[in-house]
Amino acid sequence: MTLHIGKPAPEFETSAYMDGEIRRVKLSDYRGQWVMLYFYPGDFTFV
Amino acid sequence: MSVDSPYTHKVWSEGELSKIVPGGLPYPMLSDPGGRIGQEYMVYDEENGVDIRGRFLIDPDGVLQAIEILAPAVGRNVAEMIRQVKACAYVRENEGEATPAGWEPGKQALKPSPELAGKVCEIWSPEMAF
Repeated sequence: MTLHIGKPAPEFETSAYMDGEIRRVKLSDYRGQWVMLYFYPGDFTFV
Repeated sequence: MSVDSPYTHKVWSEGELSKIVPGGLPYPMLSDPGGRIGQEYMVYDEENGVDIRGRFLIDPDGVLQAIEILAPAVGRNVAEMIRQVKACAYVRENEGEATPAGWEPGKQALKPSPELAGKVCEIWSPEMAF
């Protein structure tokens, strides 16, 4: 898998925390919206 | 997204983030155990077992429009991130136009064409980049 601007972003599904709940989230859940996907080295660090 | 479990995200959110952002973050805190997704996005650091600071702007069709990857000790420029979303949305909605360096909403966009070639200097100047 390589990344290219103008090509589909790699699809994923994983668990997530939001609003007090843990749930499954897929990238394709956000089709029709702009998505900013942020990776960071670990909780309790800055963005 | 980080390699932390969603339970660690919960502890961070309840113990600290909710004091910075009332109600907690308004978007999902994603978990990437083992860096499986980070590997696909080329941000997984195998030596340290973490996803480094990668940022990916994905359009409403699921297509990649912008990428930024920074060294772990360097924080990001959130204003620039938001500007890129606005610029990508502008060119998506205005086919045939392009946003020159430093473009922000309200500033002039360009319409690349044979007529414009060699004449950008007539409508754009370096101070418009800031």
